[in-house]
Amino acid sequence: MKRLFALMVAAFFVFAALPVASMAQDAYPAKPITAVVPMAAGGSSDLLARAVEKFWTKYSKQPLVVVNKPGGGGVVGTEGVVRSKPDGYTLYLGYGSGHDVVMPSLQKMPYDPLKDLIAVARLSIHSVVIVTGANSPFNSVKDIIAWSKKEGKPVTTAVSVKAGAVDIALTAFGKAAGVNIVTVPFQGGAEATTALAGGHLMIGGGHPSEIIPHIKAGRFKALAVVTPERDATLPNVPTLKEEGINVYTWGSIKGLAAPAGTPKEVVGYLEGTVKKICDDPEFKTTMNNLFQPIMYQGSEDFAKFMKQATADYAKLIKDLDIKIE
Amino acid sequence: MEIFQGLINGFSIALTPINILFAFLGAVFGTAVGVLPGLGPAATIALLLPTIYVISSPVTAIILMAGIFYGSMYGGSTTSILLNLPGEAASVVTCIDGYKMAQKGRAGAALGIAAIGSFVAGTIGIVGMTLFAPVIATFALSFGPPEKFSLAVVGLLLAVTLSGSSIVKGLVMMALGLLLASVGLDPISGKTRLAFGVIELQSGFDFVTLAMGVFGLGEIFSGLESSIKSEAMSTKIGKVWPTMKDWVESRMAILRGTIVGFFVGVIPGGGAVISSLVSYAMEKKLAKRPEEFGQGAIQGVAGPESANNAASSSSFIPLLTLGIPGNASIAMIFAALLIKGVTPGPFLIQEHPDVFWGVIASMYVGNVMLLILNLPLVGVWAQLLRVPFGIMAPVIILFTAIGSYSIQSQAFDIYSLVGFGLFGYLLRRLKFEPGPMVLAFVLGPMVEGSMRQSLLMSGGTFSIFLTRPISLALIGLFAVLAIGQFAVMLRKKTSTTS
Repeated sequence: MKRLFALMVAAFFVFAALPVASMAQDAYPAKPITAVVPMAAGGSSDLLARAVEKFWTKYSKQPLVVVNKPGGGGVVGTEGVVRSKPDGYTLYLGYGSGHDVVMPSLQKMPYDPLKDLIAVARLSIHSVVIVTGANSPFNSVKDIIAWSKKEGKPVTTAVSVKAGAVDIALTAFGKAAGVNIVTVPFQGGAEATTALAGGHLMIGGGHPSEIIPHIKAGRFKALAVVTPERDATLPNVPTLKEEGINVYTWGSIKGLAAPAGTPKEVVGYLEGTVKKICDDPEFKTTMNNLFQPIMYQGSEDFAKFMKQATADYAKLIKDLDIKIE
Repeated sequence: MEIFQGLINGFSIALTPINILFAFLGAVFGTAVGVLPGLGPAATIALLLPTIYVISSPVTAIILMAGIFYGSMYGGSTTSILLNLPGEAASVVTCIDGYKMAQKGRAGAALGIAAIGSFVAGTIGIVGMTLFAPVIATFALSFGPPEKFSLAVVGLLLAVTLSGSSIVKGLVMMALGLLLASVGLDPISGKTRLAFGVIELQSGFDFVTLAMGVFGLGEIFSGLESSIKSEAMSTKIGKVWPTMKDWVESRMAILRGTIVGFFVGVIPGGGAVISSLVSYAMEKKLAKRPEEFGQGAIQGVAGPESANNAASSSSFIPLLTLGIPGNASIAMIFAALLIKGVTPGPFLIQEHPDVFWGVIASMYVGNVMLLILNLPLVGVWAQLLRVPFGIMAPVIILFTAIGSYSIQSQAFDIYSLVGFGLFGYLLRRLKFEPGPMVLAFVLGPMVEGSMRQSLLMSGGTFSIFLTRPISLALIGLFAVLAIGQFAVMLRKKTSTTS
């Protein structure tokens, strides 16, 4: 009995550790493709990746295997992809996150997110939404501005992390509207929204996947979206521009990337597969459930878009004089 | 009697063959995950996330994942007691007296009482959840940053008193733990601290690596000094079952641990760890022979183990009633529900009564399964101690290395594991308890983060900790405990000098 159990445990580990045997001479893809998500499992990037992983096999003869490599705000896992062999078997899923478009303007990076990676395809944009508690006297961003100007007090604001997409969006709002926004960073979006739900802060910001459950529960009111266009998951919520405040950010972008030097035909194959997945109605339903609208872009457009988003963020950070210290 | 109707409906869902099968699978996976060092419930549930696309019913998927979560709480005590290897933060406290009991040949009693305590606490926790979920949920939300700070500070104080012999040594270990916790990203400013340009250090050290190193590997390295020969880890196995005396001594500890765990466990982030600390401190204060604590007191196992299991039940409350995930494992279950098109929150009971009541009913079923599964295993696990040290030590080293590698898939964690192991060995030589250090490591980010968040909220004035009732009460408790501890220290000093 003892021995049998020990054997079973041993066998489990042998199988778990066994590298996937590969004979890579056939046409691409000849073996399973690894997609690195440089964020923790269960986060919004991971959920998107798991959905793609599931639909991948429907359109490709080889599976996509998602591996979470969190750490350093995403830098550790991404650097791993940048330094890997550009053969199309190690990809980066989640390209366009804060550490790709925001971090380079704030600190030295061990690689260049634009030059060392090839944009394969964009899947989604996770916008940033300004929210407040259901019992709050604020019913629009104008109310916030009016209150702050009248009382001369700072507006305490829950954000997921310092210098993340949400923090920058809310700080930018404060600067553009002339309101003293004090952002209070938490350990991720779930913690920030929980504190806001408890009524411990005046307003907060978050991605739709974090705040829609609270809106549905009647606990939050959504006041404005900080992207240039309205978010498909919150069609009734105006943009800041519509509210007369001339500022926007790109939220958190989620796409697929490959290390620089990956052959053109491989990139083309991957781009086509992502396109097919994005057109799949079942995938659309899944993404709706996750509150992440599909916003597909092909390789060339996505590369241009990434350049623009990075430049926009750089300008915003310079204008707002945001520094990490 | 809406609740009973709901519950009966829930049982009719939970007792279908397919759901019983998945509750059983969850219990088995959970126990295995709890026993294997390093592989935590959150990571396991994450690995299983893709499979929920295949499972058609959301209830069945959640039953499986919930089973893994609370099953791992059951299993977590096993390695703590047998090998001094805490798999998660809430088990650190169990190591203190559990491992001492195993060394004295009472592993069976410790494992048995842990299993029974877990069952009682888990079941009472679910009953509490069935009856009072919405009320408890509001209580959980009232803990903002200032309240969390005050709670965490009480936790730190309790962690220091764990060191037993010397408060000064405890304080030194706490300071070290806080220092280790500050490596990596600053929680508020986002700047990298104490990483010395090492990219792997940017995300800080991992709890599992630290705990397995200083506890498990440290123990093995110091074992190398004495028993290179093929001796068994412990020559005595002793009686497998708790005696009548054990049972009498621990039944109140189990009940008290359950109550503490149920209420403290509901607080998002760190609830389970603090509840096990509170329970341990409480048992030590109430014990007839407090000097036995740290030397293998059975109440020191029964209380904290019950507390962390009650906490694992009650941590479902914020998820099911508010849609708030309180810890990493619950966040995975939250994600799984979203994938299935079910949004957890206050409307869950109305919109998806089958999910709400089905999951609750399955937790009753799962707890019974875990007891049936774990009680016979107690004997098997206890036999593990017969395995010679020369075989056991390399196996443990291998498993801990795999465990710590699996967290972030990077070799760096294995090096830090070995480093912490050597450090743990040093601590043993110098007669320092590693417990306060490891617990301070867990509580450090909570203390620092919530304090700085509170000060941002208050515009920099410390009065925020004293003007909010819950926070004020906790600070008051801290003051009473600290003064009491100081008085004990003084009395000891005068009695030894005179």
